[in-house]
Amino acid sequence: MPDFTDKLRPSQPDGPTTLARERGQSNISVDELSKHLFSVDNFLERQAQILPIVQKEPLFSKEKQQNLSRVERFKLGLARAKLLRRMTDRHRWDHEDYKMAQYLVDDVSPYFLHMEMFVTTIREQASEEQRAYWMPLIESWKIVGAYAQTELGHGSNVRGLELEARWDSSTKEFVLHSPTLTASKWWNGSLGRVANHAIVVAQLLLPKPGSPVKYVSHGPHPFIVQVRDMKTHQPLNGVVIGDIGPKYGYITMDNAYMLFDNFRIPHSAMLCRYSSVDPTSGAYAKPEQPALVYGSLTYVRANIVHHARLVLARAVTVAVRYTAIRRQFQDRDGDKNGPEMSVLDYPTVQIRILPLLATAFALHYTGLSMQNVYQATRKDIEGGDFRSLAHMHSMSSGLKSLCTMLAADGIETCRRAMGGHGFGGGSGLIQLNNDYLSKPTVEGDNWMITQQVAAYLIKKMTAAVESVNAPGTDETDARFKEFVRNKQSAGSNQPVYTSLSSDQDIVKSFELRATALAYDAYEQRVLKKQNWNSLLIQLHKLSKAQSQSILVATFFEALSSDKSLSGPAKTVLCDLFRLFAYYTMENEGYEFFRCNAVSQSDLNALPSRIQELMARIRPHAVNLVDSWKIPDYLLDSALGRYDGRVYEDLYNRAHRLNPLNRITFNPNYWDEEIVMGTGENGRNILSKL
Amino acid sequence: MPSPPPDWVKALKPGGPQGSELLAQERAQSNVDVEKLSELLHTKEALERQDKLVKMLQPEKVFDKSQNHSLGRVERLKRALAKAKRLQQLAEQNQWSMEDLHAANELIGEPTPYGLHASMFLVTLREQGSPEQHKLFLERAEKYQIIGCYAQTELGHGSNVRGLETTATWNPDDKTFTINSPTLTASKWWIGSLGRTANHAVVMAQLFIGGKNYGPHPFVVQVRDLETHQPMENVYVGDIGPKFGYNTMDNGFLLFNKVKIPHINMLARFSRIDKETNKYVRPTMPTLVYGTMTWVRSNIVLQSGGVLARGVTIATRYCAVRRQFQDRDADPNAGETQVLNYKMVQVRLLPLLASMYALHFTGRGMMRLYQENQKRMQAAASPSQDSRGPGPEELRAGADLLADLHATSCGLKALASTTAGEGLEVCRRTCGGHGYSSYSGIGPFYSDYLPTLTWEGDNYMLTQQVARYLLKSARAVLSGKAADNDTSRILRNYLDRRDKGASFDILEEDQDIVDAFAWRTAHLTFEALKHRDAEKRSWNSLLVDFWRLSTAHSQYLVVKNFYEAVSSPELSQSLDQDTKTLMHQLFRLYALHTLEREAAEFFSSGAVTVRQIGLTRTTAVMKLLDEIRPHAVRLVDAWAIPDWQLDSSLGRYDGDVYPDLFRRASQENPVNDLVFDPYPWNEALLKNEAPKSKL
Repeated sequence: MPDFTDKLRPSQPDGPTTLARERGQSNISVDELSKHLFSVDNFLERQAQILPIVQKEPLFSKEKQQNLSRVERFKLGLARAKLLRRMTDRHRWDHEDYKMAQYLVDDVSPYFLHMEMFVTTIREQASEEQRAYWMPLIESWKIVGAYAQTELGHGSNVRGLELEARWDSSTKEFVLHSPTLTASKWWNGSLGRVANHAIVVAQLLLPKPGSPVKYVSHGPHPFIVQVRDMKTHQPLNGVVIGDIGPKYGYITMDNAYMLFDNFRIPHSAMLCRYSSVDPTSGAYAKPEQPALVYGSLTYVRANIVHHARLVLARAVTVAVRYTAIRRQFQDRDGDKNGPEMSVLDYPTVQIRILPLLATAFALHYTGLSMQNVYQATRKDIEGGDFRSLAHMHSMSSGLKSLCTMLAADGIETCRRAMGGHGFGGGSGLIQLNNDYLSKPTVEGDNWMITQQVAAYLIKKMTAAVESVNAPGTDETDARFKEFVRNKQSAGSNQPVYTSLSSDQDIVKSFELRATALAYDAYEQRVLKKQNWNSLLIQLHKLSKAQSQSILVATFFEALSSDKSLSGPAKTVLCDLFRLFAYYTMENEGYEFFRCNAVSQSDLNALPSRIQELMARIRPHAVNLVDSWKIPDYLLDSALGRYDGRVYEDLYNRAHRLNPLNRITFNPNYWDEEIVMGTGENGRNILSKL
Repeated sequence: MPSPPPDWVKALKPGGPQGSELLAQERAQSNVDVEKLSELLHTKEALERQDKLVKMLQPEKVFDKSQNHSLGRVERLKRALAKAKRLQQLAEQNQWSMEDLHAANELIGEPTPYGLHASMFLVTLREQGSPEQHKLFLERAEKYQIIGCYAQTELGHGSNVRGLETTATWNPDDKTFTINSPTLTASKWWIGSLGRTANHAVVMAQLFIGGKNYGPHPFVVQVRDLETHQPMENVYVGDIGPKFGYNTMDNGFLLFNKVKIPHINMLARFSRIDKETNKYVRPTMPTLVYGTMTWVRSNIVLQSGGVLARGVTIATRYCAVRRQFQDRDADPNAGETQVLNYKMVQVRLLPLLASMYALHFTGRGMMRLYQENQKRMQAAASPSQDSRGPGPEELRAGADLLADLHATSCGLKALASTTAGEGLEVCRRTCGGHGYSSYSGIGPFYSDYLPTLTWEGDNYMLTQQVARYLLKSARAVLSGKAADNDTSRILRNYLDRRDKGASFDILEEDQDIVDAFAWRTAHLTFEALKHRDAEKRSWNSLLVDFWRLSTAHSQYLVVKNFYEAVSSPELSQSLDQDTKTLMHQLFRLYALHTLEREAAEFFSSGAVTVRQIGLTRTTAVMKLLDEIRPHAVRLVDAWAIPDWQLDSSLGRYDGDVYPDLFRRASQENPVNDLVFDPYPWNEALLKNEAPKSKL
């Protein structure tokens, strides 16, 4: 319906004018930088090819989805997941194409666990024979699967799981049984309403040799189990399954609870590539490498690390564009009658957003490096070489903890930096925030898993101290040994780093701090025999220092070895590297200072250096976020639109796309009626449930 | 709703020690007198009111909370309006006071569409209306015959009131104002209760008389018809759509196409237009217009303690019930450790426990200051009661206090709401995976609270006002013309001792901790002054310094208020010795943990040495965590937040975490009513349902 508001325009200068000026003032080539970021795996070509196909489907329109109830939103999520799968056939997409489409549609898919953990676990932990049986069923979608490990009372501590798989030697079956309520499987994605099969992790109970009535636990093992009827889709007898209810985000995922009542499964259900039970004797065969059981988890963590950059880049894209357009207050020292200042020119806004812009690049290079390490280690393992496993496990744990924290907190920082509109549905950061906030606690709580990094580093340090004069076996070992040698030689022999004048020294300074913290932890735990629990805070700091050191070193390495970038882009990327490093260093100033990784005068100079760097980066901010090439469709943000038509879009969403505005309320409290003219009252509304 | 589970499921109990046993054990190991502490925090009267209201409200079906997180936006808002109506009916039947209504709203646990009518609309009419306007608008509003809201922010304009674009032009011919929205960015935006509910609004608009702009002023405008509830002619109004939280509030937009309103609709207590001469009559106290903002901010500080207490209560109880991993150094056959025993859980949770007490006592201090100020200002601004006008000394004192209060409220609002908001998220993450469930009670509450960090002045923008005030005070101290107040005192003290240096014994003396915080503030103030006055740096280039300065100053105020509260005779008289000692430990934990996090500033200002920081970090804070840990559950019990208000499986008083999570998931979760068809090639979503399109 036309009305007088159709003719209204935003006040000047409007968004498009502002963004055009922003784009004109930077000499960075957006296309060049995009190519640099995404040339590895055809990401941009794929995005350009899939995007129009996805956008054409009415089912993938994001316009009104925020208004839906949980049930309706879940139905929509499943409908989209089905369609995406059908489109994969129709357009002959490969798995990367499918993942791109999924990424653009931006719903957490109820099929996610089927396509990731379920199939990965079969691939990695099933025997040849089991793979031959199950893989065709999975790949043809004859069965839909999930992965059920976590329980109501038990998360990261896999050994604490309560669900039992007891071997019945008379029938040659395992009996799955939940002895308590806390043994209920919980949080298991894709299982609540969708899957009919699941990998179920349970305590393997085998008869004690020589005494058939007593059972011994051999720890948690994976079983593949059919849990719903293939025709009626109802849970099988002796199984209770359901969705666990509304969450902070992940609204389109059916996270499950699941309980078993003496439910029998065949001997073949136990995935037996690494450990197995002899069907005749009931004897247990141990895996050669116990750590392998955690292989899938490492895979998921490595993926999470790789994905963090795109998440943060998305939030920063919205924040940079909007704060460039949004104006507030005149400059106190400037023209009192001039236009209000662009919010991005406030150092108090810059200090929140520009370090995050730098962080997105840091995450990018580390994400790539993590993928490479994962691939290389997998290859080693397939070839029977397990030496790099501990390193990868530690690296993926520490980086998962740090990178998801940076991205999750970064989204929220960007959202708040946008003021009031950041809270609105048009910000585009709400579902992103809701969904991503699962990451700090999922797949290993960010605080708990840092213990794994610390334990690994303490072990490495212990080894370094024991053979301090032997040549280093790897980079870490060499660094540790050098540190210990310097420490042992008379007087303080630690080198002095001048991070403010040398980029190489920045890297060295971060490494020194991480090494010094590792030595402290070694000293407390190994030499002074301090209680582990009393060290946890210190160990967490060690893990963070180690992971920050990896981020800084990888960033530096990527820029040093790069041959493709032209002068202007290289200059700005080097500034981003320094901004990330200095900003981190300033936040952790005390730690750097205490271990002589930075001088006091350098530490005091950091705030003004950071502000100088931000002033240098500021003119390029819009081009820098443009180079991530995140399409408007994915951003789904009035504030972050490429064309800058922020206010028109906000108004359009409020005015034309908002179902609430089709309802007229009766506001008088003495009238029970809620919707005017309908007589609908509170009781009618409640009875609909 | 789904059918009940089979008997074998009903028979299951949680494994290991039960939550109720673990909490009983927690409560047994501490001798904190919960009841006495509750009374000190909330007063006996408030606790009795809370009990009475829970008993009255909880049984009413309309206040049921079980479906809050499963409903769509439209249904949620309908239900919220039903709740608001029922509350107002109860208020009338039971002749509730303002405190009763406020407490009832807190228990309901979500904003309602009457929210802005009951707060900002009534407050503004009361404080800024003339007696005649009180009769015309306020009396009807109090009876809900008209329902209003407060329309200040615009699509393109937030904190900067001067930047507003809506205009009110005086028409001398027919003695009316024309309210107009010249651009799209002039649209009022975010206005609570306006989207679907209100029929009136106090509209802030730029007043134009004879082509001259007199700045933003408040006007009462009718926006909807009282019969049909449809927008008035040439008024365009609606809800702005779904949000991160606060979805039970109809935040609205509002546009005017040259709408005329009579002379009487400009709220005229402080400034007005003379109808005969068409001249603008200036306000006697121009700053008084900001009084409402200051009141709102003081309230935010007071509430922040309680907000944080909800998160901390849930996380503390749950972390006492939740167990994970054996202690590495313990007997391998021992059970899993309570998560609350992990140092890395304690270091996140216990400082927040201390913060909620710190913020509560600080909020109280501010409210007291605000009320004192109001009294003085009222006396000064109502000369008609007296035969003579106010003397300059009275106005001066009032203005001094207002400046101090305004600066204090800005900085503390920023610090307190950030601490509470971010603290809730820390609590949520401390709960591990289950913190992500809506049944944790933290996530939805966090989403509803978050706008507090950006509204009533963005937390970063606000810090400029504190810096401006501190710079002004520093200049006054240097020129010997400083007002006699605490800010001048700490600045002067710093100047006197600067050359000798500070030697605060923060590890032994509580007063020295307060002094160290004061020292750091004074140091940063004079540093900033040097940059601004001597080095002539631009205001804009100093904003980050100002933000740090404001944070430092506000932290000083919290530490000072907390210290005064724990040392007060009031506290001494109401608590036993052990609980008093514990209060001092909470003070030290808040102060030293803050000091340790801001180590670099304390160290570079010379307030403390690196060695002291090292000891704070490795020894003092650790020792405090050990000392406070056994009392954690009782310390949250003392906040006396009813289970019904917490609405949390994890934070239940009785510790029955797991049965409650299971009950909600299996019995209150509408998703489990549906049987899906899981196969991608079947377009049907549900078994036995034909495919249909709803979008």
